[in-house]
Amino acid sequence: MAKRKKPRHPLHVLRIISQLVFFGLFLVLLVSTALGTAVTARPWLAHVFLITDPLILVGMTLAGAFTTALLAALAVVVLSLVLPRAYCGWVCPLGTTMDIVDKLLFRKRDRSKNIAPRLRQVKYGLLVALLVLAVFRLGVFGWFDPLCIVTRSFSVAVYPMADHVAKTSLVAAEESGIGAAADIYDWAAGAGLFIRDANFKEGARGVGYPWSFTFAALLVAIVLAQAYQKRFWCRNLCPLGAMMGLLGSVSPLRPRVSDKCVACGACRKRCKMGAFEPADGQERYRCLVQECISCYACEREFCPVDAIHVGAAAPRVRPAPGILPGRRAFLGSAATGAVFAPALLLDQRARNKAETNPMLRPPGAVRPDTEFLSACVRCGECMRVCPTNALHPSGIENGIAGLWTPTFVFNIGYCEYFCGITKEDVEQGRLEKPANLCAMVCPTGAIRQLTHPEKIAHKIGTAVFDHSRCLPWARGEECLTCEEQCPLPDKAISHRYEDVVNLEWLAMPQPERHRYEELEAKESLTDAEQAELDAMPAKSKRIARPYVLRDRCTGCGTCENVCPLDGASGIRVERLQTREIRATGVGGQQRQRRRRGRGGPR
Amino acid sequence: MVHRLSRRTFLRAAGAAACGGLALPGCASDTGQRTFSARAHPAADEWKNRIGLATGGDDPGRNTRTAIEKLCGKDGVRTFVKDGDVVVVKPNIGWARVPEMGATVDPAVVATVVGLCREAGAAKVKVFDNSVGTDAKCYQFSGIEAAARQAGADVFLCARHRFRKVAFDDPRCKRLTEWPIYGDVLTADVLINVAIAKTHNLCYVTLCMKNLMGTQGGDRGKMHQELAQNLADLNVTIRPTLNILDATRVMVAGGPSGGRKDQVVAARTVVAGTSSVTVDCWAADPANLPWPKGHHDLAAVEFVARGAEAGLGTADADKIAVSA
Repeated sequence: MAKRKKPRHPLHVLRIISQLVFFGLFLVLLVSTALGTAVTARPWLAHVFLITDPLILVGMTLAGAFTTALLAALAVVVLSLVLPRAYCGWVCPLGTTMDIVDKLLFRKRDRSKNIAPRLRQVKYGLLVALLVLAVFRLGVFGWFDPLCIVTRSFSVAVYPMADHVAKTSLVAAEESGIGAAADIYDWAAGAGLFIRDANFKEGARGVGYPWSFTFAALLVAIVLAQAYQKRFWCRNLCPLGAMMGLLGSVSPLRPRVSDKCVACGACRKRCKMGAFEPADGQERYRCLVQECISCYACEREFCPVDAIHVGAAAPRVRPAPGILPGRRAFLGSAATGAVFAPALLLDQRARNKAETNPMLRPPGAVRPDTEFLSACVRCGECMRVCPTNALHPSGIENGIAGLWTPTFVFNIGYCEYFCGITKEDVEQGRLEKPANLCAMVCPTGAIRQLTHPEKIAHKIGTAVFDHSRCLPWARGEECLTCEEQCPLPDKAISHRYEDVVNLEWLAMPQPERHRYEELEAKESLTDAEQAELDAMPAKSKRIARPYVLRDRCTGCGTCENVCPLDGASGIRVERLQTREIRATGVGGQQRQRRRRGRGGPR
Repeated sequence: MVHRLSRRTFLRAAGAAACGGLALPGCASDTGQRTFSARAHPAADEWKNRIGLATGGDDPGRNTRTAIEKLCGKDGVRTFVKDGDVVVVKPNIGWARVPEMGATVDPAVVATVVGLCREAGAAKVKVFDNSVGTDAKCYQFSGIEAAARQAGADVFLCARHRFRKVAFDDPRCKRLTEWPIYGDVLTADVLINVAIAKTHNLCYVTLCMKNLMGTQGGDRGKMHQELAQNLADLNVTIRPTLNILDATRVMVAGGPSGGRKDQVVAARTVVAGTSSVTVDCWAADPANLPWPKGHHDLAAVEFVARGAEAGLGTADADKIAVSA
């Protein structure tokens, strides 16, 4: 490979360092706060990338779900005014991922013909449509926000996949007799690098991440779209990038092309954002500041005649026509958003008789569910931090609008009773602190923080026995594993000894059963007759049968998780009935976000 | 001229390594031990119906030492722990409850056992349990992780892949045929079973015999169908060198998970025995520990009878020799 022709601009070098630092920070936060290991002390750390996201700030404000923590994003807004889309080039972990893959796979690829300038307009249209949907109280911009994408993908797909591969290799090596592998495994587990496998009991029916394939595929698609254009997502689709590009259009620190330009088009080919376009009516090129991510590669490396300088004084040039969407396109995007919004809302309402609590949401999730859909950005933070891996993205079972919002999968985990609480907290009575980790990392306050007493009084749902499956009810076999593990001090499951039919007796052919009943009806039996009766199975047997005490049940899902049945459990947590929400006063939690002081991270 | 590794070569090599790594499980052969091999106490047969007992005072550690001495004599733990032994202490760390809740063993009892083993010359003392609740939380809340570490034990959480399928092929095993048991239990020279005395929603009381379920992996909910016989089979196969029952506090309602301090009674007792069945027989007797009135009688505690049938101890309270 030929040596680099020109040395890099120092800010280019600094940018690369910055990308690696922020990416490293992102990975460290991801791994150290996964499954609740380090979140308790500094919850804001876990979601620092999300609360500094201006798209989330703007979107939540429009959706009526503003929380004060999001003001941290103003720092990024100010940065974007000064240094165009610097966030995209210096901070964004998705951008860094793309740059790394690009360097590894596509460095030699000639993509200079794939300019497609009109494709850039899509991101502005998408931004407008998403913000209009936010006005309609739908937080669905989270599907397309790059920070949410990268958080979801890494939490649900990339990290678990890497964890699985590392563990499988080390375990295989250990079982082949390589002792060092066991030491490495123990070190990595002790250092918190692994997803704690002590949580995933052999008995748990499902261990894993239901959406890992989809999120991995989507991330791969976004990153591999660079086969067509460098930073394809950033150029054409990213709504956050569109917003910051618009902010950056007032920036003085932009690349400017001087009169030295000979219109060779080299900058257009080399710029990773394709931000250079021929200026209208002049034999020279200009930089589109809305597309520039301040990577500082152009100043020294692109131009054979050194015509590009960042920040040089020059009159501000209006965006050329055809770069930003025109008025018609703008109105078109807005209209699209406006048309889809009621469609999304009706789709959700159609599937539920009562919309108040159609899904099993994290404890503290805002009610009714329509409010939750406004405030949730589908970022996946709660799913990552849940210590028992109980929270997972939901699908469209509750309407398309609910896609990727969190729900419980009690086959995999359960809501930990002492989540966020330590031994010292209990012994010293320090129970007025937030106790639900999911709420502590939620960047928008869609999940309200609850203290421990509030959390154990909160109903996620109610457990209900499936009498066709539960062993004592369906098969006359003893069990009570669910009652044994109910974590409440006043157990929500109790049992009663009842006489049940003995299936062995039923299995006897009718003539023998008749003989049994004959003997049983006799006043007194001879020794031989007694022996005969004793040899037959008893007609009924006495076993303990469990019952749910509905008033006490909080729907934590421990019972469903530990049931020894394969397949669906014999006891399952169901959504709350509306009358239960009202009667227990849990309905008082409705519209709680309006009380600004209480909502959101502290 | 330095040979430069081309990117293509690197990617190919990395891909091959990754595929090889993923294919390893296919060719790996599990070389872990699959049979229980800890030694029985030298006097186990002689002391099958014998227990050591210590009551009173406010020092569970002291009661532990006394109970062991009452059973084993002045030499205490040295009667079965030799220089260089690897000892596994298996306390009940099953639930995320603070010690006052009586759901887990008192940390002082565990620390004392660890200390005694180390004094007797054990090379390594391991402390672990396959908890019922979220493991890391149970280890923390019970106070056992901190206390055992301070006493010099090696405390660790279970790693999923280190359970080994053990064949339950003793002719006395009537129901279980095989079950995964944690590897460290199988390779130990000495196994000390340290249990807590509690009520249990299914089998009335949970004591030493049931505590051994903490060595099991797999889906333990499936032990609950005919639990009494399953526990007898388990105790036939996994035979602790010594059993200690911590009855410093007895949970008398809401067991085994508990959660209410007002359902815990101070009994200030520690029992030691070589037979888990005999210790349980003594402890389950309402005459000996403060079980609630009408809760159960000894006859209702079926796992003791099944264990006695298998020849592991006695189910007859009158036959127990108590050294107090």
